[in-house]
Amino acid sequence: MTEAEGHKGFFQDLFEKPSMDTEVDIHAPGVTMVKSLCYFCHANCGVLAYVKDGDVIKIEGDPNYTNQGGLCCRGTSALLHVNHPGRINHALKRVGEKGEGKWEQIDYDQAIKEVAERLNQIKAESGAEAIASAGGTTRTDDWARRRFLNIFGTPNGFHNALLCWIPTFMAETCVCGWSPFETDLGTARCLILWGMNPGASTLPGMHGYTDLQMGGMKIIYVDPRYSETAAKADLWLPLRPGTDAALALAMLNVIIRERLYNKEFVNTWCDGFADLKAHIKQYSPAWASKITWLSADQIRTAARMYATNTPGCIQWGCTWDQIGRASTTGSHAIALLRAVTGNLDVPGADGIPGPAINFLTDEEMEANEWLPEEQKAKQIGSNKFKLTSWPGYQLISDNARRKWGKTLPVEWFCEAHGPSVFKAIITGDPYQVRGLIVNATNPINSYGDAKMTLEALKKVEFLVVVEYWMTPTALFADYIFPAAGALERPIIVTHYGATDSLMGGSRAIQPKYDRHTDMVFWRKLGLACGQDPALWPWETEEEANFEIIKPLGLPVNSWDEFVSQVRQYYPPLHQSKFISNGGFWTPSGKVELNSTILRQLGYPGMPTYIGCIENEIDTPEIAEEYPIVLTTGGGFMPFHHSEHFNMPYTRYLYPDPYFDINPELAEKLGIKQGDWCWIETRRGRIKMRAEVQPSVDPRVVFCPRGWWFPERDGSADLDNPFGCLESNVNTLTSVDDEHCDPMGGSWANRGLMCKVYKCGELDKEFTKKDSQWSIPGSSSVPGVTVMPSDQPLAREPIPFEVPQPDFEVPEGYDWCWQDNQLYQKGTFFRYDASGWLVNPRNKSYYDAYTGWRYDADSQCLVDDATGKIYDMNRQEIVYFGNVQCFPGQPAPYELPGLVEWDMERGAGFLPGTDLVYDPNSGWVIDVNAGVYYDAYSGYAYDPTDNTLVDMQTGKRYDMNTRQEIV
Amino acid sequence: MRHHYWEWPIASYLFLGGLGGGIYFLAMIFSFNVLPSYQEVGWVFAWPGFIGLLCLGFGCFLLVFELGQPGVFYRCFIKSTSIICWGARLLSVCLIFGFFWFLSYLPLGGFAEFMAFFRPFNLILAGVSGLGIMLYTGLMFSTLKSHAFWATPALPVLFTVSALSTACAAVTLSIGWWPAESTVNNLVVATYISEVLHMIDIILVIAEIIILLLYVLSLVGAGNVTAKKVADRWVKGKTAPIFWGLMVGCGLVLPLIMYIVGAGTVAATFIAPWIVLLSGLLLRFLFVYSDDRRAIPGEEHYYNKLPKGDEAFMTRWEYGKNEF
Amino acid sequence: MTRYVMVIDQRRCIGCHSCTVACRTWNKLPMDIVYNPVVSDGVQGTWPNVHRNWLPTLCMHCEKPACVPACPTGASQQDEDGTVWIDYTKCMACKVCVNACPYGMRDQSKVEPRLHRFVRKCTFCRERRKMDPEAVPYCVQTCHQKARIFGDLDDPNSEVSKLIGSVETVRLMEDLGTGPQIYYIPDLGGRR
Repeated sequence: MTEAEGHKGFFQDLFEKPSMDTEVDIHAPGVTMVKSLCYFCHANCGVLAYVKDGDVIKIEGDPNYTNQGGLCCRGTSALLHVNHPGRINHALKRVGEKGEGKWEQIDYDQAIKEVAERLNQIKAESGAEAIASAGGTTRTDDWARRRFLNIFGTPNGFHNALLCWIPTFMAETCVCGWSPFETDLGTARCLILWGMNPGASTLPGMHGYTDLQMGGMKIIYVDPRYSETAAKADLWLPLRPGTDAALALAMLNVIIRERLYNKEFVNTWCDGFADLKAHIKQYSPAWASKITWLSADQIRTAARMYATNTPGCIQWGCTWDQIGRASTTGSHAIALLRAVTGNLDVPGADGIPGPAINFLTDEEMEANEWLPEEQKAKQIGSNKFKLTSWPGYQLISDNARRKWGKTLPVEWFCEAHGPSVFKAIITGDPYQVRGLIVNATNPINSYGDAKMTLEALKKVEFLVVVEYWMTPTALFADYIFPAAGALERPIIVTHYGATDSLMGGSRAIQPKYDRHTDMVFWRKLGLACGQDPALWPWETEEEANFEIIKPLGLPVNSWDEFVSQVRQYYPPLHQSKFISNGGFWTPSGKVELNSTILRQLGYPGMPTYIGCIENEIDTPEIAEEYPIVLTTGGGFMPFHHSEHFNMPYTRYLYPDPYFDINPELAEKLGIKQGDWCWIETRRGRIKMRAEVQPSVDPRVVFCPRGWWFPERDGSADLDNPFGCLESNVNTLTSVDDEHCDPMGGSWANRGLMCKVYKCGELDKEFTKKDSQWSIPGSSSVPGVTVMPSDQPLAREPIPFEVPQPDFEVPEGYDWCWQDNQLYQKGTFFRYDASGWLVNPRNKSYYDAYTGWRYDADSQCLVDDATGKIYDMNRQEIVYFGNVQCFPGQPAPYELPGLVEWDMERGAGFLPGTDLVYDPNSGWVIDVNAGVYYDAYSGYAYDPTDNTLVDMQTGKRYDMNTRQEIV
Repeated sequence: MRHHYWEWPIASYLFLGGLGGGIYFLAMIFSFNVLPSYQEVGWVFAWPGFIGLLCLGFGCFLLVFELGQPGVFYRCFIKSTSIICWGARLLSVCLIFGFFWFLSYLPLGGFAEFMAFFRPFNLILAGVSGLGIMLYTGLMFSTLKSHAFWATPALPVLFTVSALSTACAAVTLSIGWWPAESTVNNLVVATYISEVLHMIDIILVIAEIIILLLYVLSLVGAGNVTAKKVADRWVKGKTAPIFWGLMVGCGLVLPLIMYIVGAGTVAATFIAPWIVLLSGLLLRFLFVYSDDRRAIPGEEHYYNKLPKGDEAFMTRWEYGKNEF
Repeated sequence: MTRYVMVIDQRRCIGCHSCTVACRTWNKLPMDIVYNPVVSDGVQGTWPNVHRNWLPTLCMHCEKPACVPACPTGASQQDEDGTVWIDYTKCMACKVCVNACPYGMRDQSKVEPRLHRFVRKCTFCRERRKMDPEAVPYCVQTCHQKARIFGDLDDPNSEVSKLIGSVETVRLMEDLGTGPQIYYIPDLGGRR
């Protein structure tokens, strides 16, 4: 008896027929299985969707994918997500006041048209740069946004990329030519998980780590919190939040001081070791011990363990980019840890994938050539945080083109400084940003200084939001567009366009209602803004994705075919590429321990420590009032960023925000398990419930990120819509320029200083006063007291004069000062001493004048664009079939028998025919039919019985004697 | 940790069931054993029997009301391994034959005379099943070994003694009323029975005090972690004022004193029985709400963090009703 | 004979609650019903010498279940392969079984419309396995960490048999004599 049949009691039947069909038969006729991908975090686990009549009836994890059939809380809720009654299903146009929550449902294309008109109007009045676009985690494929912005002409696209990998990626690329982010754990002896918690964020990864650990690999875990992953680690370093850079520097100090570095690797492949050795002396374990709260011995143990158990890996963690001023310093130091131990691109260490040579990179889809130089210069924040905006990107990208032949995407890696854009909306400094297109993000909860961000979103003249939900951000929109979500969109995973492997998923169903995918939104908007339809040739993501994978040359005819037959593409394993490449992919060709690119940008070439914005050593006066260290930003199940708070079935497991507090501290403060408490920094306060457990140091509290309360009525309290400020840790963070990383521009979620106290009877509501914003964030006076451009940076730029060539650089070439080489403009091919150009992609030689490739086998030039072949005098070599022709010349070889020279075509032919003489074989060939003819008799050769045949008479002749065979 | 699934209807039912069963048991004992030659016994017990029927009926109603699926209550008679299945059967027997027995005392003319023929038979069935009911409520609870505080052999004893004690009290309060005519004989028999019940109830209340204290105190001393936790709560924790003050003090010791000291006064004949009845009800409540289960490590921490059930997000969205 | 059991490897469990949510969505459970909570006492010890374990639970599918004989209607039953389940055509939701289960693995929703309120419990995904004999319970399939392993204890070649034979396992509240069929491989802190 199934549950569905379980209703035979007369009482039930009297009233209603309850539906309790818990089981859907996925083997029933009419049910098809679609290989899809999860879209709720970056892990993009494989999902098998069972579709019947255009609707998904069940999903399961794909057992033949990296997740091995596993799906987390978020993934298994996909059906509840796709059918959620709170989803935005139609284009909405604001009819009331901003934030009032009154909407009119309008046609999607009509809304696009109205938005485009407004955007064009703003562009005409204030320039394209007055339009900005904020993104969240679009889960790796977001080139369409950049394509739109580039063609529209604005440089002000941004994501929360600065908090997540991008500054690290750039620093690592400065050191060794590309981020070494692909850990080769199979043969690794040691793994450092640093500032990440795969046990709550990337579960497929955690599965792999657990397997390897059970097989004997040691895991060093760096985290101030006893997290899910710490519970399983071999060595755990609970450092003071926000001091990761000090730890990395001290580890580097130990490795160099104790001569544990890989001497051979350093001597052969690294540059600037002497500089580093002198520079790192100041960062002793004793120095770091005071900052990190770890003992000098703990630091030494960790350094020795990593340096002596080679090969080993260091897995990137989000924390590296979230410790504020020292973010890039920290990841730079960690990059050097890998470098001096030789853990770069060798088996068992951190592999350098490089850009995808075999398929189109995201960068190639972005149409960056459309953005004029003068618009690039207007990118907000690019004058301050240069590493992750156009100034730094340009240097890194040019170098990548020279060394790899392709480069990293502009999207994510070269963006406006988000908080500065919000400040520009409020202050008009450096110029007024008038329009904001927000796609897939809720900046109030995900960007720093939530109160200021909320004000910016209220104030911006024209706000367009593409969303699943009515978020606090969407509440203030002029137009809301419904977004297609998981199961409704094809997904391509190329790790932000920064790797050479690719994975894909098909959409299980077409988007429901009037929901559209992101690319379709940007394409429609682009076309409505008047962009050339030829620039948007793909109507669907499937078409665009197929374009991307076409160069792979796989025997598939569509994206869906690729997914169903191939799904995951990995290039052949290619470790130790730097050996075959003859060097690393940095400007100097060596691992740059004293980075030239960073110096050129005005930053220290070697990591130079700078403390947390608030700490007990540098700012004792702050520490006195705010004695507790606050850390936040970490992911926690079952939520992702600020998502899933409106998924009741998962929220049920975690209904309220709980912050971790050590029992010792809790007792001191009189706080008990479950108490609502205020957590206050210099910038504001939030309230959360206490989870009293020794998961953090007694001097530390840990707050989960992202909290808002979508179940509330947003319009009821516009100072705190949907409770988006009251339990949101970003109410506590600072995005003042001097508090941001002077290189990467990221701000601190970790290592802030706070105080904690119980909510009092009369002080338990988040009031209007608590939502008061200011610039700078910790100003006691509401509103703007210092204009953003008057705010100093944490560190003044270090002047750097780029060396000049001591010879005249020929026209059409750039001189690279680091390696003293010339590179052709446009192609970025190196001008070799031999007088040839060298293409970094395939190491082939190219003719400097024509750009044709030299083919060493046939000793001729090939124009890869047309396929035409030229001789070394750049004369085209014409072929008739396989026979090389010499048009207009006398016969260069002797012509046998019946063959006559055709001056015009430049080859020998049997008279009056197209049968061409091949001097190599001595036969006359029918190119089309592939039949061979005897040059003397004109008879065709029959390979079946090795005779000659007269095609006219059908008579047969002997091969040698040409006598008729009777 | 708490394992709370049964509410006040179950506690009330346990009390009413025991009470009703006890009344029929007493009626049977007095009719066949104490005063076998007096027809008046039946007559004076008719009204208490009716009260018993009401108790049983209302108890059954509460029981069915407490079911998740009241419409299909009849399913409960099916499986003999289940103690409450036997409980249901006993209840039905007691109700049906108790009702038949009661009918024979009503002014229904020939029909009553006809029914009078079956009186002994009906009363034996109702009385024996009444005894079963008294035993089974405690027995059922004592077999639920997930609840360490219930699962002791002493619980059926305690419940049975309490049921009998409340039945005695109820009978003394109601004996001899309609349909018994106020003849001298009836009055004498009723008074005699009242006095006997008075004595019995003194013994029962003393027994109940002893058993209850032994029960709770021995669990404080020798109970496993879960049982001890509950017992501690009763003896010196949150429940202590109710247990010592209301249950033991006012509910048992006070009526005992009234029974003994105030014999013959309103205190002994009227107030004390009512107190006994109420304390019987309180006893069932105390037990039903002491539903602690041995927690799986971490279970308490887990469930404490889950929603209480009235959180806005749980009901904010209704699948099938799109908003935008 | 077939005897389905589950082995839960606490050394692998990281408390992500995926099994819990997967079960709730797959079985379309009412909001307040959790068949397989992953419980934990939280972090224990004194900083920084702390430890933490997670205990994924579900119906123990006992050898001698306390719930089945307690059921007056015969709705609670046990299959020959050990699966304990409830036939809703027989249940009247008296909650005796809920009170009988020492593990608290039976529950009745408080938020469902009243007439839907049967007693519910984990069935080792009985319906799912009936439709596809190869299928494992959904919580087992969805576990990223592969901390839940399901199989036939009577088959000496099954993974569960091998694990139970080779690694020390414990069961919950064995003293009650119910013979629970969920075997835990404890994480003893000293790690692997």
